[in-house]
Amino acid sequence: MVGLSLGEKHFIKGGIDQNIRSDGRKRDSYRPIFVETGVIPQANGSARVRMGATEVIASVKAELGRPSALHPDKGKVAIFVDCSAVAEPTFEGRGGEELSAELSVALERCLLGGTSGAGAGIDLTSLIVAEGKICWDLYIDSLVISSDGNLLDALAAAIKAALANTAIPKVNISAAASGDEQPEVDISDEEFLQFDTSAVPVIITLTQVGRHYIVDATSEEESHMSSAVSISVNRKGHICGLTKRGGEGLDPSVVSDMISVAQHLSELLMSRLDSEISAAEAEGGDEEL
Amino acid sequence: MTSKPSPAITTTYSPTPSSKKTRPDVDWVRPDSRGFHQCRPAFFRTAAVNAAAGSAYAEFGNTKVIVSVFGPRESKKAMMYSDVGRLNCNVSYTKFATPVRNQEADCKELSLMLHKALEGAILLETFPKTTVDVFALVLESGGTDLPVVVSCASLALADAGIMMYDLVAGVSVASLSKKNLVIDPVQEEESSQDGSLMLTCMPSRYKVTQLTITGEWSSANLNEAMELCLDACSKLAKIMRSCLKDAASLAAQE
Repeated sequence: MVGLSLGEKHFIKGGIDQNIRSDGRKRDSYRPIFVETGVIPQANGSARVRMGATEVIASVKAELGRPSALHPDKGKVAIFVDCSAVAEPTFEGRGGEELSAELSVALERCLLGGTSGAGAGIDLTSLIVAEGKICWDLYIDSLVISSDGNLLDALAAAIKAALANTAIPKVNISAAASGDEQPEVDISDEEFLQFDTSAVPVIITLTQVGRHYIVDATSEEESHMSSAVSISVNRKGHICGLTKRGGEGLDPSVVSDMISVAQHLSELLMSRLDSEISAAEAEGGDEEL
Repeated sequence: MTSKPSPAITTTYSPTPSSKKTRPDVDWVRPDSRGFHQCRPAFFRTAAVNAAAGSAYAEFGNTKVIVSVFGPRESKKAMMYSDVGRLNCNVSYTKFATPVRNQEADCKELSLMLHKALEGAILLETFPKTTVDVFALVLESGGTDLPVVVSCASLALADAGIMMYDLVAGVSVASLSKKNLVIDPVQEEESSQDGSLMLTCMPSRYKVTQLTITGEWSSANLNEAMELCLDACSKLAKIMRSCLKDAASLAAQE
């Protein structure tokens, strides 16, 4: 929590009313975004994303597993968020637990689509190796290193970048097992498959302060929020998940308005992230050479 | 449970179909042969538990929920001084609520969602330093559990005499095979849905307290689903209100 004096509060609120926030941004502009990929050698894919003073790391680990009996044609994805005490003293012990749970649920909602699997950012059927027998389990672990507001958007961007960086080893099924037997597999350490991230959405959080709403709020600004709506939008401009935070009620017309604003902003954010990710990937590739 | 006779209120709260279009491509029959925009009959009764400060029972088709409210009372956990009251929500499932034993949904997440749906409606400053506990138990899970829990909990809070701006009503809509929107989905539909939208709102104040969307939605579908939910919520709140009124007039007679 940020401790602010009454004067500071008025200053922040007044700035938002007049479309000049305390760091000089407009209501709908982002802080500089910095992306670095391949930061964790042990993972199949990883990325570090910095938005102003907010910094997060996401890693993707793939393990071979068994598909569930209910969905034999789908792999599994699990998303975990860890709010470490490094980022903020209040996260110490069990302090960050509730926030971690809230963030991971929101990310799952945005990335995994409906129960039928439609509209998912990650195509679960592409994770299958042998139907009903072997699939890839993706473990997406993210860590909040430094927290200065807008965690969810940063986490979603980091996961998108980490997935773009992910290389899944090619699996050859060596012996075709009959019936219920588990087939033997041979994991190639030379051939890798790239992950298709074109459907992975971005998340845009609009934070309501007074009568206006802002994007990419800092923690100082977040301490003023009456409510915030996180909207995930994919490349097609379709909404693929929405979560509301903060207790205060919102007028339905404001919600619809926020959704259309998010759809508009998502195009800009998406192209900016894409160029950052490809730049980071190119840089990583150069180092290897 | 009380044996006290209370007038049974069973009414539906289906939204009025939007006049502009009737869907020609109805290729789906709902498991309980309802219309796409037809809700299950809703039944509410307050004062379901004697020991609680307030309680309510709700039955929407096969979804059966009981909520009791305790407090305002001393905070159980040693917490810091707070000049506003605390709201503590807990949702749990009975072992036999689901077809497969013990296969309940994530209760922690549901509890969090219930808290978020209710906190905006309660005047927390009316009970400083104390806690109000809301315990919800899903006796039978028949789909659309969370919205039913939210509506039932707000009724229980009203029964307990906790000050609120308005009753909170919850409705959800599922999108099936990309184009069909069905309101108040049953469990079968929920397990095969492409996306879902859950909206809880305070109808008289016309404020959305909680909104969650999963799956991919086009803007047109999204707007239609939100309109359906808002309309159904205002009708549901009328049923809830009449339940409270009937209980009060019954108490006045005795």
